[in-house]
Amino acid sequence: MKPQSSCVTIQKEWDIVGARHVARDMAKTLGFGTVDQARIATAVSELARNIYLYANNDGQIYFDMINTIDGKGLSIIAVDSGPGISDIAEVMQDGFSTSGGLGAGLPGVKRLMDEFDIQSELGKGTKITAKKWVR
Amino acid sequence: MRKVIDSNIENYKNLLKSYIETQDERSLYGVEMMSKSFLKNNILPEEIVNLHIQALEDLYPDLSEEIKHSMNFLLEAMISYGLKHQEIQTLREQQIALKSEISVAASMQDTFLKTDIPTIEGLDIGAISAPAHQMNGDYYHFVKGKNGTLGMAIADVIGKGIPAALSMSMIKYAIDSYPEESMEPNVILENLNRVVERNVDPNMFITMIYAQYSPAYNKLRFSSAGHEPGFHYYAKDNRFEELKTKGLALGVLADVEYQEYELKMEKGDMVIFLTDGVTESREEDRFVEVEEVLDVIRKYKTYSAQEIVNHVYKYFERLQDFQLRDDFTMIILRKEV
Amino acid sequence: MELSIDLVEKSNHLIIRLSGEIDAYTVPKLKESLLPLTQKSGSVVEVDMESVSYMDSTGLGVFISALKSTKENDSHMKIMNLNDRVYRVFKITGLDEIMDIGRSNKVERK
Repeated sequence: MKPQSSCVTIQKEWDIVGARHVARDMAKTLGFGTVDQARIATAVSELARNIYLYANNDGQIYFDMINTIDGKGLSIIAVDSGPGISDIAEVMQDGFSTSGGLGAGLPGVKRLMDEFDIQSELGKGTKITAKKWVR
Repeated sequence: MRKVIDSNIENYKNLLKSYIETQDERSLYGVEMMSKSFLKNNILPEEIVNLHIQALEDLYPDLSEEIKHSMNFLLEAMISYGLKHQEIQTLREQQIALKSEISVAASMQDTFLKTDIPTIEGLDIGAISAPAHQMNGDYYHFVKGKNGTLGMAIADVIGKGIPAALSMSMIKYAIDSYPEESMEPNVILENLNRVVERNVDPNMFITMIYAQYSPAYNKLRFSSAGHEPGFHYYAKDNRFEELKTKGLALGVLADVEYQEYELKMEKGDMVIFLTDGVTESREEDRFVEVEEVLDVIRKYKTYSAQEIVNHVYKYFERLQDFQLRDDFTMIILRKEV
Repeated sequence: MELSIDLVEKSNHLIIRLSGEIDAYTVPKLKESLLPLTQKSGSVVEVDMESVSYMDSTGLGVFISALKSTKENDSHMKIMNLNDRVYRVFKITGLDEIMDIGRSNKVERK
């Protein structure tokens, strides 16, 4: 039996690959198709890169398998104690991705996943929660 | 989205099979049509690759592991393209929404700034103003006084587009609040200058000529606030003369005094006012010289004032490949008798 | 067409050399370099326009902001070596009378 939850600490670029790996394994176990597996891995990449590039290498990604009467799915929570995002609305706007700055990949993560939530406080850090359900 | 894919899976498989066996053009045409319908239904590239993988596995159950892995690799490579596609789609929708908002604003502006050309005894008046983009930063205005005099303004806000157009509305309401016929042109400009200086950004300014024509004396009095000089056409000599005017553009300094000028119009004489969209227009790398504008006017001088300004406009529109680079405004006043 | 900006600084005397065209596209760049110079109290800013072939009215806007800034910050701006076409824009708008402007030191046509 594979573990129901897992955590990856992001410090080096290589950890991004590690996070993708954990995400894909869990997605496979849950029965996600190839396309969704690829989407989940890409979403995790974006979240991990944000931590690696902008959050002073200080953050974790938590993975949890969800298995309830509502359905099966994967929950991903990215937490960092980086600079925080001052204008979340701006970061979530399409077209912002071209800036390449902090949070640039977030609209993509929102698209790749089914549920998305973000909380951020300047100077304290950011917490992003994303879920995807097995169809 | 799923439905579109699911309903096409058999079709795709058959086209692929037929193509692999015979390399026929008909299958390729078939997949072209399918790809168009995918595009219309926002099917992402990774889903098409996945469709291909499924079809391939159905057709060739003994497909080598290497090929299978390579197909998954391709699917992975498509994810970011899919994301970009979705983003561009959203941006395109936003652009359409913005465009329609601007066109509403532009038609509101047209209504705001609308000015009718009045009938003045013995004077033929023509006026045209065309924006380079949707909103016009040029403005003209006519008013007929109780004693039959004509009050007229032509103005150009620096810059183009929405900021320029917003400033123009301010100018229009300021002028409307003045008892124009009892004010001298220079006093009107002095008052407007204070309004503009107090209310616009330090790097914006407006140039303007204000003129009054009195039919009883055949006299035109005018003042200029840094505006492109106008011209006086002397009918009896068939000759143009630049109206030498001095005066600072509106909005640069708080207190400015303007000089007033006066000219007498004889039968057939014209006075031409324009904005720098006319003289600053460029054809390829060449600047349009003022002489060229005057030549066009001379060519059509037997037409009505309105027809002349229309012809000049058409001439410049064609010169600039029907894409004006700056707002274009021209007014002609001609003494008829 | 591009606008290139070179800055030569000698204590309080600043020379800014422009070459190219000044229009809506290059104006932000000009504004960014010119305005901070005029904000230094007591500085003399010389703008050398010898290699500016074209300037539209948005360019004038920057010079007007700069002029306002020199008054607020007790600095001075001198615009030098304008060609005929660029000078005309300053003259028509009446700015030649309130700014320190020198025309081209090449032979003048008149």
